Amino acid sequence: MTTRSSAGQVPTGVADYFWGEAYARRRLEATLLGAFRQWGYGDVVTPAFEYADTLSARGNRELQSELCRFLDRDGSMLALRADMTIPVARLVGTRLHDAPTPQRFCYSGSVFRDVEPRAGQQREFWQAGVELLGSAAPEADAEVLALTAHALHAVGIEHFRLVLGQMQYFDGLLQALQLTPEAQVRLTQAIDRNSEPELDAFLRETPLPRRQQRALAELPRLGGADIDAILHRAERLALNKTMQHAIINLRAICDVLAACGMLERVTLDLSEIHNLGYYTGITFEVLAPGVGFRIASGGRYDNLIGTFGAPLPAVGAALGLERVLLAWRLGATAPPPHPLAPDLVVATGNHPAAFEFAERARRAGLVVVLDLEQRSDAALCAYAGAVGAHAALDWGVAPPTIFDLTGATPVADALTAQSAPVLLASLLESKECSQVLAGNEVRS
Amino acid sequence: MESLDADRASLMIALPKGRLVDQTLQLFAAAGLPLPAADNGRKLILASAVGDIRYVMSKPADVPTYVEYGAADLGICGLDTLRESRRHVYEPLLLPFGYCRLCLAAPVDRPDTPLRYASQPRVATKYPNLTADFFRARGVNAEIIALNGSVELGPLVGLADLIVDLVETGSTLQANGLVETRTIMQIQAVLIANRAAYHLKRTAVENVIGRLRTHLAPG
Repeated sequence: MTTRSSAGQVPTGVADYFWGEAYARRRLEATLLGAFRQWGYGDVVTPAFEYADTLSARGNRELQSELCRFLDRDGSMLALRADMTIPVARLVGTRLHDAPTPQRFCYSGSVFRDVEPRAGQQREFWQAGVELLGSAAPEADAEVLALTAHALHAVGIEHFRLVLGQMQYFDGLLQALQLTPEAQVRLTQAIDRNSEPELDAFLRETPLPRRQQRALAELPRLGGADIDAILHRAERLALNKTMQHAIINLRAICDVLAACGMLERVTLDLSEIHNLGYYTGITFEVLAPGVGFRIASGGRYDNLIGTFGAPLPAVGAALGLERVLLAWRLGATAPPPHPLAPDLVVATGNHPAAFEFAERARRAGLVVVLDLEQRSDAALCAYAGAVGAHAALDWGVAPPTIFDLTGATPVADALTAQSAPVLLASLLESKECSQVLAGNEVRS
Repeated sequence: MESLDADRASLMIALPKGRLVDQTLQLFAAAGLPLPAADNGRKLILASAVGDIRYVMSKPADVPTYVEYGAADLGICGLDTLRESRRHVYEPLLLPFGYCRLCLAAPVDRPDTPLRYASQPRVATKYPNLTADFFRARGVNAEIIALNGSVELGPLVGLADLIVDLVETGSTLQANGLVETRTIMQIQAVLIANRAAYHLKRTAVENVIGRLRTHLAPG
């Protein structure tokens, strides 16, 4: 039997990114972090792996079963981070609990889930996001929602909706119903699938007081963009303080969102309960046309930090970089340009003046590549054309010769002290032109 | 926001080619939904004659995939296909056709002992996930043999001890010397919805669901 070596292959669920795609990711990451920092969120970098006990604290079974675990040298169980929220919560709970609150952190990095790759879900994926720690005010929830929307605008995604839920509403309902664990699993599944037939069957087979029955039957209909009406109906259906508090909280958040002009983007859905298990208040997801899965999500997690140290209320959001890129590409007219196409290729002939000129051009903002093969004339133009440069400069001959490659055939001209600044200016201009044409201007 | 509103108007619905399609179209017609325009049977994407619904004709097992990815906003498939696929979609409506059951069947001459007595039965099936779930839940370490068709041949040719397959009338089982020993799940057709489309195209999605529901409501 022959065994094929896996050396040189990559496992399923991870990928290489290169050229334009890698650049688009880095640029997206930079734009998102820039937007977060403008709102006062400071950077945080946490380890790629930690103790599995830390990472599975308060997560639901789904999250726990998806951890990529491995053994430390002393036999303790480690795992790759499955999200960024838990590591930040661990850091703040154990070490930063006495720093002035609220604390604001932003991050970007890859996270890992050991799953069968599926729609929008690989085993390694990138998240950029924010955590706002130490405030339970509805203004904090609204800030994270508004910042998520602001960040999406900053990267050029105009069309999206925020779907807003509140875990306390469903938790309060479960408290009121006092179901057996099996019945609770069955009900949660029916709600998660948004399956009215399963919910109807549950209601038929579970004897409940009329008021409870009605609250449950109406739950799938507590969704939509008509926020006032939905909150009003949900309030009338509330069975206890927990459910009432959920509605009061949502109303307060929506008031702030209305003040920042964001309410028209918001859809409510009180039956949305699909998440990682540590949320205690609002949950939300961002949906964009053409992408079948959420491109960002988040929520309030008031009990997580207390697992690691002093309790502290907190709320956060994470954007999936791959998913945001997908949404961006669906809305973009042109593909992202290859960023490493140089503006100018210089064959130096090892003349100091050539190196100086190249440095001057770089300082002016051009991408300059040195030819390492001592090419000249036709060979230099062919090479420069092949890598997408607008011009080639041959310093191996006297006088140094510039080739304009923007036309059908190269046009040669002598480079002089007078023509050099003109050349740089025109190259800069054509660079900016091509960026605007590619829809590549920096948005803010 | 204009384009969001524009998106609400158009819907893509994935229909399964084969056993469910005729009844699906009858139901849509009866509920007053626009039907795909007549075609020569080769085009895979069909526009409706009126209105703004498009239909994609796909293999039944692919319908949940189309819908989970959002390539289709809505889809029709059997509960068997949906549960086997483990796709994460909304399931707002069960439809009154495509009734059958997923069964465990054994050769007639095999004594019907409790499953837990079997040490490692070999089970042939087109539903490896559902079959594995069924045996795992009973603590039995079954050897699952995934086949693509004619599962009932398994025991006849000595490939498998048991089979898990869809049963409508039981005549195929009988003809092959098999008998149903357990019902794993009841099957019928189900309308599924993409989770994002459900929110982004709520008006259009609720319109379709509402019409079907009204038509299906008893009385």
